[in-house]
Amino acid sequence: MSELRISSIETRGVPGKKRYAMVIDLRRCIGCMACQVACKAEFDVPLGVFRTWVPYKVVGKYPTVRKMFMPRLCNHCDDPPCVRSCPVEATYKVEDGGFVLQRYERCIGCKACMASCPYNARFMLPRHRSYTNITSVVDKCTFCHHRVSQGMVPACVQTCVGRSRIFGDLNDPGSEVSYLVNTLPTQVLRPEEGTKPHVFYIGADRNHTEIGRTIYDPSDVMNAERVMFEKNQRS
Amino acid sequence: MGDYTVFHLMPWSGAYAIYFFTIGISAALFFFSTRSWFPTGQALVPIRTSAAYVSFALLAISGLLLIGDLSQPMRFLNIMNPAYLNFASPLAWGGLNLISFGIASVLYIKALKQNDEKNAKFFGVIGSLLALGLPVYTGFDLTVHQNRPVWNTPLMPVLFVAMSLVSGSAVAAMLAKGKEAALAKLRWHMLWEGGAVGVMLIALLGTTAYGGSGSELTFILMTSGSLGLIFVGLGILLGTAAPIAVLLTSFGRQHAGILAAAGLLLVGGMALRYSILIGGQIVQTYF
Ligand code: SF4
Ligand code: SF4
Repeated sequence: MSELRISSIETRGVPGKKRYAMVIDLRRCIGCMACQVACKAEFDVPLGVFRTWVPYKVVGKYPTVRKMFMPRLCNHCDDPPCVRSCPVEATYKVEDGGFVLQRYERCIGCKACMASCPYNARFMLPRHRSYTNITSVVDKCTFCHHRVSQGMVPACVQTCVGRSRIFGDLNDPGSEVSYLVNTLPTQVLRPEEGTKPHVFYIGADRNHTEIGRTIYDPSDVMNAERVMFEKNQRS
Repeated sequence: MGDYTVFHLMPWSGAYAIYFFTIGISAALFFFSTRSWFPTGQALVPIRTSAAYVSFALLAISGLLLIGDLSQPMRFLNIMNPAYLNFASPLAWGGLNLISFGIASVLYIKALKQNDEKNAKFFGVIGSLLALGLPVYTGFDLTVHQNRPVWNTPLMPVLFVAMSLVSGSAVAAMLAKGKEAALAKLRWHMLWEGGAVGVMLIALLGTTAYGGSGSELTFILMTSGSLGLIFVGLGILLGTAAPIAVLLTSFGRQHAGILAAAGLLLVGGMALRYSILIGGQIVQTYF
């Protein structure tokens, strides 16, 4: 069956083109955060901001409890609102592969892309960094474009001890991601936004992946962390 | 308990609300200055020059505010580079609109100084159309983000046009000092445009309250939560309902009453822009 494509920017199912995707099998994630650390090391991601992060929630009441890990990253959406909203095309989609990338030298820092991303996948780089001069522009996960174009998998996938993260070309019917997406029930985050995310979750529970009522009454611990994050990001 | 998440900042800070405020007033003042050249706007002749100058000053301030809020201020020139422009983004249109409005304003002020009615009318009409584009594009700037409660409604561009006219008439009333006919005309503007803002706010509250989990939470935060005092207290009650009530009384037909209502409308205009801007971003910071 052919794919339903609404906008011309979409590359899933386009013959002759690659469409990279990630499957995250939540049944296998043990919350070790090795992916988060590998990503920090790969890109010298500054304090307080993340290209990938692993939030968790304790779900249920004793004795029926479970810790739900939810690895997050840019979804390299097939119809990305961030690309649409950037006034100077500083963020763009690579047609062959579907990577959504940044042109750092062009970004004016208007943050329209951050406002339009439903997944908080984007962040502003601080003014001062020790090892790189890419500062004060918006950054995000690249699906490790530099590694994938050399035939490797992203750093987070390489390091995942539970083999929870699987990466590959969804347009190749023989790839592992195609097999998983085609044979198992998968979920994407906020499908109603029409972004067509290319990070697929196995075992995600929509009751816990949506914006929850706890927002109105966040615990003190959460607020203390929020203050710390804000302080880090401003310095 | 024991939950862990990464907190995210709101991309657009409250400083943008000041920009929305000043650019809206600038656009409306230009429109009032232009109107004074036409038979139906004769009452506005006394504010013709002052409104044009204040509009231009506010345009300059707005431009600086916008540039200052970029994390790479010197790269604002990129937005004028045709090789870079992405016309799917309202920001790109907004940048072009701002520049062309600035040019139209300069040409209009030149014609005004020379008392050249023909050219003043011509550049005034062109400039007014471009001025209309300013609140429209600021509204679109918010509307296009489909994931944002409060913002993602077709109401936004229209609401921003109405808020621009209300705040602009309030400043124009202050410029009109003692000119009875001008004040009467501006009172009429404040009353009807303030009423239009009020109606749109009711619609906005309705769609936000019944708009799904993110919207419902935003509604709670904007009405009884952290933004309640600013949105409901300053924006709706003190800054929209109270001035309309004042304008409807006999005191509201006097000079002092009109100025009091104008002051309240300005407070309300700023509070509404701020709370709409911030309100659309709160819940997402927890996602
Ligand atoms: S997740 Fe966000 S940043 Fe990534 S492509 Fe989608 S909209 Fe853009
Ligand atoms: S912050 Fe940079 S990448 Fe994002 S929309 Fe603005 S110019 Fe584009």
